[in-house]
Amino acid sequence: MSMNRRDFLKTSALATLATGAATRTRVGLAGPGAASDDVLLFVYLRGAMDGLSFVAPIAGELRVQYEQARSATRIPASGANAALPLANSGGLWGLHPRASGLHTLYQDGKLAIVHAVGMTQQPVTRSHFDAQAFMEYGLGGLSGSEGWLTRHLRTGGLPASIPIPSLCVGAITSTSLLASTETITMASGGAFRLDTGDWAWRASDVSGNTGFVDLLPALWQGASELERKGRQALDSLALIRPIDFNAYVPANGAVYDGGSLGSQMKMLATLIKREDLGLRIATVDYGGWDTHNGQGNPTQGWDYFGNLVEEFSGALTAFCTDLDGSHLGRVNIIVMSEFGRRVLENDAGGTDHGYGNIALVLGGAVNGGQTYGSFPGLATEQLFERADVGVTTDYRHILAEAVNRRLRNPHLPAVFPGYTDYAPLGIFQGTDLPPADYEMIFASGFEA
Amino acid sequence: MSTTSAPLIDALRRVAGLLPASSGAGARPMRRPGKAASDAHLADAPGTLAAPPPLLRWLERASFGATPALLAELTALGADDASRWQAWIDQQLAPAAIDDSAVEARLAPAVFPTLYKSLEQLWADHHENAPDYAVRMRPVSECEHAKLTRAVYSRRQLFEVAVDFWHDHFSTFGWDYDGATVFPHYDRDVIRAHALGNFRQMLGAVTRATTMMYFLDLSANRRDGPNENFARELIELHTLGVENYAGVLRPDDPSLPVGMGNDGIGVRLKYVDEDVYSATRALTGWTLRNGHWQFPGENDGTFVFRPGWHDNYSKWFLNRFIQSYKGEIDGELALDTLAAHPGTATHVCRKLCRRFVGDEPPASLVASAAAVFGATWEAPDQLRQVLRHILLSAEFRAAWGEKVVRPFSAVARALRVLQADFTPTWDNDPAWTVSEELVSRIGSTGHRAFYWAAPNGYPDRREAWTSSGALAMTWKLMAQLTVLRISRADEAPRIADIAAQTLAALAPGQRSANAIVDYWTGRIYGFAPDPARRTVLVNFMRQNADAGANLAIDTNDWAGEGNLAAHYVQARLRHLVGLMLCAPEFHRR
Repeated sequence: MSMNRRDFLKTSALATLATGAATRTRVGLAGPGAASDDVLLFVYLRGAMDGLSFVAPIAGELRVQYEQARSATRIPASGANAALPLANSGGLWGLHPRASGLHTLYQDGKLAIVHAVGMTQQPVTRSHFDAQAFMEYGLGGLSGSEGWLTRHLRTGGLPASIPIPSLCVGAITSTSLLASTETITMASGGAFRLDTGDWAWRASDVSGNTGFVDLLPALWQGASELERKGRQALDSLALIRPIDFNAYVPANGAVYDGGSLGSQMKMLATLIKREDLGLRIATVDYGGWDTHNGQGNPTQGWDYFGNLVEEFSGALTAFCTDLDGSHLGRVNIIVMSEFGRRVLENDAGGTDHGYGNIALVLGGAVNGGQTYGSFPGLATEQLFERADVGVTTDYRHILAEAVNRRLRNPHLPAVFPGYTDYAPLGIFQGTDLPPADYEMIFASGFEA
Repeated sequence: MSTTSAPLIDALRRVAGLLPASSGAGARPMRRPGKAASDAHLADAPGTLAAPPPLLRWLERASFGATPALLAELTALGADDASRWQAWIDQQLAPAAIDDSAVEARLAPAVFPTLYKSLEQLWADHHENAPDYAVRMRPVSECEHAKLTRAVYSRRQLFEVAVDFWHDHFSTFGWDYDGATVFPHYDRDVIRAHALGNFRQMLGAVTRATTMMYFLDLSANRRDGPNENFARELIELHTLGVENYAGVLRPDDPSLPVGMGNDGIGVRLKYVDEDVYSATRALTGWTLRNGHWQFPGENDGTFVFRPGWHDNYSKWFLNRFIQSYKGEIDGELALDTLAAHPGTATHVCRKLCRRFVGDEPPASLVASAAAVFGATWEAPDQLRQVLRHILLSAEFRAAWGEKVVRPFSAVARALRVLQADFTPTWDNDPAWTVSEELVSRIGSTGHRAFYWAAPNGYPDRREAWTSSGALAMTWKLMAQLTVLRISRADEAPRIADIAAQTLAALAPGQRSANAIVDYWTGRIYGFAPDPARRTVLVNFMRQNADAGANLAIDTNDWAGEGNLAAHYVQARLRHLVGLMLCAPEFHRR
């Protein structure tokens, strides 16, 4: 029986981590990919965020059409609470007024906006749950047994020496990381530890005893799937336990506000700055966008959508501020939602399910301060099914560009099976590796 | 499977930082030497976990946890397991005939007043005249506490499991600012009232329910402002299922199959977006008396059909024609079409089988259950018949171990086997109560009752609940259950006094590590765990004592250096029980 990650952990990892003394050792795996140190953070706005409110038309024919379609949810183009004009957008687009932090990031070149992004397979689905799953499987509208990020972790040539390559923020692992054996799923780093029950016999202590926490792994040694998953959870607990999340002080005066997204982004910043942990992949959810009713607008007291935008913008801005000057150059954030919302608002002051949507891309290596993709128009005959913003950019173009240019994984056919028309938009700095097939050297023969 | 060998203990101590780690370049944390980054290709190996006896295997999927008392009840019901099981199922499927006074006493009106209020009372007390957020949320909070109380103490176990299923199927976010105020109506008059009844009747009650009206916006669905939110989820989640969604296609697309409904009328088998819009239009005018400015005098929170808000023109729905100017009947026809649709029978029965049998239930059982569902679609006890069919099937009896116990069920199960005596209750005190601690800890597992934000309900597959977050936070809660007291008062009784229970069960002279472990594995599992795992437990309990030697479990003192066997023995006993609650045997069903 060869030594696996757990065995190795038992004998070395924790003490090393606890002292923070580890320096990274790059143990290259076989294969051409020499993974970079870059981090990819995927932020999922679950519920179908209304892209036309997040990035609204502020001039020209688009504005006229937009105002015809939107009144209760309209973002003003001028005056109080007006959209914040986006440079390099032909004067046509403005950011939601409550996203002032994101606007500053855009002006600083750290935020790019992509128009009319979505899934291109036919027929189009307007089911939240299908659309989210299809997007996260990354199989062109099929379900599978692995998420697209799992396939990246499998094929990306990451160094073997990093203890926490992947983190899913939450209690339940997102589909994009389905079946990943290396992902830690946790909602709160500070709470992610076994510290309950009697203090005596809880953990091993100076009495020389072996307590509950340290004995638990001995109960999860078997070969069943459940026991494998249990060991993964125990590994995760052991890796997280030595990290003092409460002691973390953000840099550059960054302030994470009290909302859950803010504390989650703070947790991610804590882990990213600990380079010895090697975090490469993270997913975060921010939900509540299914605004069929009472979406609100920034000119009135009831501004449900704006409240979400403000918390989202504040959390991402604090994160980028915190990492700026030290780690932001290797951190890439992609923000997407499962689909957009119908152009014509409904009579309940809300919007129903649509199709194309914006995507946001943030980071220090982003060619920001500009918009990407072509907007297909708001005239009825330009709309998908005469109702929704169309899709002109396959969402995989954006993800694949990050995987290739930043994470330095050229195995795009393995990450996105069936995706053959890689067409980077040039959102990320760097050069492309030629897309390469991946020999499935890890496909079998490994112990669990 | 290892035992607590000396090298392992050393390794564990090293992990805990108690022994020096080796240092130098060879001592890096390694990510995956020889380990696959994905386990999608690995088939499960359930055989490595011992399968319990049949009655236990069946009970763990039809209850919130088998207890020795429940097992004894079953055993008395017949001469063999099959007849015992059938007798128990038939008892359980007539819940009104089962005396449940003990749980009713725990849910007394003085402590849980909102559970007994009519919809109109709830509306008046908690919606219209309740500016205080805590008062608005009290009804859903009481339902949450009642749900845990019933799961633990009700003798109508199968009924409570069925209620849990239907709350997931017709999931609403309980803490919705409006829906929360009348949540007991949804729980009592909609879900519980129909959980063993007729699906079509339940569908009608759900569609009219105030809580659902707010959650999916049906109350705002009007002729001049249709809102498709409810209609879409009605078809996609509640009835046909997304597996019968053909996407954005024309309804006359020649690729779309047609067939026969269980009502004997032809119907299109797959739905498209046009059907969502037709159902939306059919349900225009279905709304609430909620003080709308056009009807300010009508404000009691109840359902009303407003003919003036209804789209009266004809509709095509799943290839069926809905005549113009029929009013409220349009919606009823849409619900009839869905309830009698073969896709609904299959979708709902697959979900039921997934809950009771396995994550990927046998197609044969889904098909036979769907046949029962279809043949009985107008019967008042349709769902009782379907459930009976599933629970008595050969497929159900043969299955084991494909499911994991979801965190809420793990809590209920632990409280049941520990014979806890605790009723969580709502209060408006800023002090951090034990009830609030319990709810909060369940929340951190990701499985707080009535707290799933999306309309698809909590996941029912093991991959969701075996993530590190769900497992670790469940273990954390399990350990806490062994020490929790019923209040914050010093020396308040524990919710389950493990030391006192052990002392009462085991006479002096019979308190060895072996006896203690066997007693508690009998209580908690009902069968002998994996022998190697038992050894780990015995070694933990005995420490340096002989496994057959008596332990002084009547004290919890520090015994001095060098005698771990006498070191905080009651604390060790509680952690022993905690380990059993955190072992694989406890998480599989």
